[in-house]
Amino acid sequence: MMAQTARPRRLAPFWLWVGALGAVMAAAAVGGVIVLWKGLVVTNLNDLVPWGLWITLDLSSIALSAGAFLLCAAVYLLGLKRYQPVARTATFIGLIGYSMAMLSLFMDIGQPFRFWKALIFWNPHSVMWEVMMCIMCYFTVLVFEMMPIVAQAGWFKGRWPRLAGWMSGVHHYAPFLALVGLGLSSLHQSSLGAVYGVLKARPIWYKPDLSVLFILSAGAAGMSLTVLASMLAGRLTSKARVDDRLLERIAFVVGWVLVGYLYFRFWDAFAMTYTYWPGRNEGLGILTNGQLAFNFWIGEILLGALVPAVLLLVPRFRRQPGLRMLALALVVGGVVAYRWDINLVGQLIMLTYLQNEIVARYTTYFPALIEWVVAAGIAAYGVLAFSLGVRFLNIVDHGQPAEAEIPVPVPAFSPAAGD
Amino acid sequence: MTKQRRLSRRAFLKTAAAVGVASAAGLQYARWARASGPVGASQHRWAMVIDQAKCTGCGYCTLACRAHNDVSPDIAWNRVIPAGSVGGQPVFVPRPCMHCEHAPCVEVCMVGASYYRADGIVMMDYDKCIGCRYCEVACPYGARAFNWEEFTGPNPAVPQWGQPEIERRPRGVPEKCSFCSHRIDRGLALGLTPGVDPEATPACVVACPAKARVFGDLNDPESEVSRLLAEHPHYRLREDLGTAPRVYYLPAREEAKR
Repeated sequence: MMAQTARPRRLAPFWLWVGALGAVMAAAAVGGVIVLWKGLVVTNLNDLVPWGLWITLDLSSIALSAGAFLLCAAVYLLGLKRYQPVARTATFIGLIGYSMAMLSLFMDIGQPFRFWKALIFWNPHSVMWEVMMCIMCYFTVLVFEMMPIVAQAGWFKGRWPRLAGWMSGVHHYAPFLALVGLGLSSLHQSSLGAVYGVLKARPIWYKPDLSVLFILSAGAAGMSLTVLASMLAGRLTSKARVDDRLLERIAFVVGWVLVGYLYFRFWDAFAMTYTYWPGRNEGLGILTNGQLAFNFWIGEILLGALVPAVLLLVPRFRRQPGLRMLALALVVGGVVAYRWDINLVGQLIMLTYLQNEIVARYTTYFPALIEWVVAAGIAAYGVLAFSLGVRFLNIVDHGQPAEAEIPVPVPAFSPAAGD
Repeated sequence: MTKQRRLSRRAFLKTAAAVGVASAAGLQYARWARASGPVGASQHRWAMVIDQAKCTGCGYCTLACRAHNDVSPDIAWNRVIPAGSVGGQPVFVPRPCMHCEHAPCVEVCMVGASYYRADGIVMMDYDKCIGCRYCEVACPYGARAFNWEEFTGPNPAVPQWGQPEIERRPRGVPEKCSFCSHRIDRGLALGLTPGVDPEATPACVVACPAKARVFGDLNDPESEVSRLLAEHPHYRLREDLGTAPRVYYLPAREEAKR
């Protein structure tokens, strides 16, 4: 009797959660239809700032998916087998992240129904072409990597046993997929920075550093989101089982990646002050002293990197789940702030092309309501997909492998010592 | 027997796949070859010379451009920008597309919708463009304008400033000056000389009442552009970027009397 009343009560919050996310998505769907119908004129984008919130969302989604290639490489190429269950979670988050990126691009491009032309007409000289090809190929890799995970779900195995058997077989190719994924991700995670970095017209972007900073920040943020989502799932639902030692180790690695990121970020910013370069110094001024200053100092540097680096590197703080989750959430927010700032800073400053008068002109951009609504809907889709994955695909399940792992190393060492 | 059937089906699928891949690669190669088309293969090298000593900033060029190219009043392919004064006279920089020899927009366009014609003109293929606006972000001259909404209704510049000669661009693609390539092509087909015969010359050059704009072929040493550049000091916008524009300016100087 008691069990019967307790069950529905435990289910209700999940479906409420699904309903709330669905409502946000429905609002975004209305917004999306308006954008497709009326065109991008309904946004606050203009000829001076043609890339805005949706491009930030696209960049952030891809950065936050970076946990997938890193953890798969760690498990299948470095042989850190005990992280395999975390790599599963990361793969699923990656698949969601890349589909979110494609959704936001579909909203952002002026001719969304011509997206297929990007696959047919090639300009291999374009960085964007390389990024697009990598993203398409890597998305395919993620789909393959997901197959064994879906095939393990009880409801799937029961309904389509033959298909599930075939899909499980893909597991044998996991090292190969991890290798391809590592290659593709190393390429596009950094060349997304080069998309900006190759533009001579925008001095604050025009430098090699952006590629390095993009892949470093993506590495930190991608792993952070994987660990954070796992910890949240472990606390919010009985469907998820987490091995906190695994997550703590990854959080420790994130701390060191943040230190590396801060090192490069410091020299990137500091080197800009060596000399006056029209447009570049004004851009740095916008970041450190202008309209993006709060975002830069507080969002990116202090809360986005410094504070979480301390929280994740000091064992006393890292071992407290609450503080660790806070730190990981700050890293996720920090990478979004970084993408937002970098995308905007090059556009908020325009150089005139008049002879002997290369002076800077400033502009502003704030997203329109419809941009916010659509972006919120795309984010809600990501959260919903993850929630459903936790519930129906056991996406966060560190239960068995970690338990089986502990006794193995102990006897493995003793015969070696006996020799 | 079943084995044979299976094998033949497999062979068929293999052949089909091979043919598919080969034809896709062939098509791709053909497109690629065309997209990267040999610049300089044409016998012409078009250029524009703008004399700032003569430009009065009247803006007729912008209006003629809007009419002949059916450009929305919200967009200017050719802007006339005030740029201080020399000897008490106001100076202007009329700014069409620079048709750079090393055009950032062409280099970054992932579908090759921005491309070089053999005669050096930087063209837009409005049917290929997916509207990502990378070219717009990449252009140092602000020469590109995006169609945030569809241009419908009558063009206020028509008919006073001319008649539309090309198709209106759809919503969701950026557009820019083409050196009136349609006028050049049609003129050449009729045996006319662009830069000399008005029908074969960009509309802005024809419309300029001060004769501040000159258009012509740099490959022809007798053309007016070649002569002006040989005889007068000139500059191009943001030469430090290495884009090598095909629009040259003769600066306004106090002593200049042309």
